Amino acid sequence: MKLLLVEDEAKIAEFVCAGLAVRGMEVTHCTNGNTGFTRACEGPFDAIVLDIMLPGRDGLSVLKGLRDAGVGTPVVLLTARNELGDRVAGLNLGADDYLAKPFFVEELVARLRAIERRLAGDRQNTVQVGHLKLDRITRQASCDHRGHSRNIELTSREFSLLEYLMRSPGQVFTRSQILEHVWGYDFDPSTNVVDVCVKRIRARIASIDTGSDPAGNASNAGPSPPTPSSIESVRGVGYRFAPAT
Amino acid sequence: MSFRFRVFVLATMIVGVVLGAVMIVGWSSVQQVEVARLNDRLCIEARRLATQPFRANALARLEADVALKLRLGSAGQLLLRVDAAGGQYPIASAGWRDAPEPDHLNWAAAPQRDAPNPPDDQRLDRPPGPPDRILDTAPNRPPGPPPENHPGESNRERQSKARQPHEEARPEGCALASFRRKGDDWRAARYTEGAARSVLAADLTSSQAELQSAAQRALLWMVPLALLLTAVGAWILASLTTQPVNRLALAMKRMTPQALDQRLPSAGEDREFKALIDDYNTMLERLEVSFHQASRFSADAAHELKTPLTILQGRLELAISRADSCVAPAELTGMLDEVGRLAAITRKLLLLSQADAGQLALHTTPVDVTELLDALVADAHMLITSQTISAAIARGLVACGDSALLRQLLNNLLSNAVRYSLPTGAIRIEGRALPGGVEVVFANPTVPIAAAHRARFFERFFRGDPAHNRTVDGSGLGLSLSRELARAHGGDLTLEPSEAGEVRMRLWLPRRQT
Repeated sequence: MKLLLVEDEAKIAEFVCAGLAVRGMEVTHCTNGNTGFTRACEGPFDAIVLDIMLPGRDGLSVLKGLRDAGVGTPVVLLTARNELGDRVAGLNLGADDYLAKPFFVEELVARLRAIERRLAGDRQNTVQVGHLKLDRITRQASCDHRGHSRNIELTSREFSLLEYLMRSPGQVFTRSQILEHVWGYDFDPSTNVVDVCVKRIRARIASIDTGSDPAGNASNAGPSPPTPSSIESVRGVGYRFAPAT
Repeated sequence: MSFRFRVFVLATMIVGVVLGAVMIVGWSSVQQVEVARLNDRLCIEARRLATQPFRANALARLEADVALKLRLGSAGQLLLRVDAAGGQYPIASAGWRDAPEPDHLNWAAAPQRDAPNPPDDQRLDRPPGPPDRILDTAPNRPPGPPPENHPGESNRERQSKARQPHEEARPEGCALASFRRKGDDWRAARYTEGAARSVLAADLTSSQAELQSAAQRALLWMVPLALLLTAVGAWILASLTTQPVNRLALAMKRMTPQALDQRLPSAGEDREFKALIDDYNTMLERLEVSFHQASRFSADAAHELKTPLTILQGRLELAISRADSCVAPAELTGMLDEVGRLAAITRKLLLLSQADAGQLALHTTPVDVTELLDALVADAHMLITSQTISAAIARGLVACGDSALLRQLLNNLLSNAVRYSLPTGAIRIEGRALPGGVEVVFANPTVPIAAAHRARFFERFFRGDPAHNRTVDGSGLGLSLSRELARAHGGDLTLEPSEAGEVRMRLWLPRRQT
């Protein structure tokens, strides 16, 4: 994915570039609104990450200029100053998404991936890792159990959390990253809601694996050895989804 | 007591006191004039008695005659006694029996008066000799010499010439004294000329009783009328005094607390009130400036904090994702949590300062409150340990607002209820539609909270009783921000009265934006 980052703060640009590069994205960086606008008009980019507070020409003005010039490249705004006002103005001007500072690069990646998927025409409606499968349209999770696909009942939050982990199998997510993505930034970070939610998802998957279905009909398959849970705890850090072996 | 009433009472009292004082002073000066006039008349009559020959058997007639001259009501208000006049035997009124012996009275020489004497006096100032009109009727009237006329002298010269002997003679000849007889005050005059001596006394009380009753008759309707007029005047005065104050108070009340840039108009006001309005406007201006400074300060501070926070959070995130980090990952995630908390406080401060400045930018759309609450209640179920949550949320609750902010608002209230609830408490959430809007009540049992602490719930950085809440996380900004958010939506957040062991928060959101 080819990206343009317009951000004047060198230290922020540094870790954003590093974080995106790790995810295999090709990042071009500008520190000024005017040059950012020129570069955005010139080269084809898959998406633009645009800071609002910029020297020269501010982000909203760059965005407006791009849309007026007929450049439809998706734009993710980084807001800091007047979050709400900028958000409203930005969305009205045709921004595709926005992130309030401070933000997680991981969250930025997730937003960019979502834009990428949307541009790709929603062909990847399903996410599958190992025997677990998620349908993003119906928001239904299912599990291949001894050749049969069995649905897993998940709440909206549980589905979002599982999807977030399954999008990057093997990658470790901290609790605060998960919290911000699933619950939003305004949720109290001192609670253990992520741990509780992960525990519940594990219990739901485990109930399928052990064969006891939600209706309560005892399976006559007999007790089977419990398969290791797909969501792994990473001690002191957070969680990750075990990559398919 | 109202200022108006106080002005009224004060004005009435002052006018009343002044009125009373004027009446007392007036009455006493009238009395003094009356007494002085009586003194003069007494002296004149006493002198006439001492110097005029008369018949002893004419006593009753003489008494009546003198009483008339002294303008007394009757002869009974008069006592006269003539000891010796031209070798005649003494005569005395019968009333002297009840009166003290004239010789024992404390006689004092009659004081000289500067004021011109009444015509009576002038007539008597003339040297003795000319007969008096009343005595003209006496049968054996000795022929008196005709009034002396000095041709060539003007009337005025004659008068001043005639006065001279009287004013010098009176202190010697006439003496005055007071005594009491039958409970009345009497005034006596004694005139001595050679061997002849006359004493004349008049009943002061009776003679003044007439004057007093006349005054009383007049005052009987004058005083109530004066008091009534005073009261009406005082009331009008009090109303006039308080009118501009009331008008000012009304104008001040009309000013909304959000708009500090409003000013009261001072045109057409009186000078004093103009000064007051100007002072008020100056105060408002200072308040506005300092308020905006404080508001801008927290907005600027929050904004300035965001860049370092972003850098800190990004670097921590990067460090955690790198396996080669030399710091234990658990240490880094702990730091990341703290950065997150700092970021949340910064965000709340920014929102609060924007709300204070009335610059909260709302992206309003119809928001499904039921859906929001359902999701939050599901989250809360994951958070509680031993508490229970019972939610009675009506279906299809819709309010007009900014969905992100409403979510934050409801989330704040619900997490507060969970956070401060007793470990075994039952948390209740009720959502219902009311005419014009949506009402959501959050109730949770808590440790008993003093009324003083309840009153400070919406204060910024207020954390309740430190002994109880030290272990509970929270910035102390949540409730304050929640109320500002509710008000920015045209609604309100209030702490409902309840028992000491329960906290009830009532949120009201209008269905339509005003």
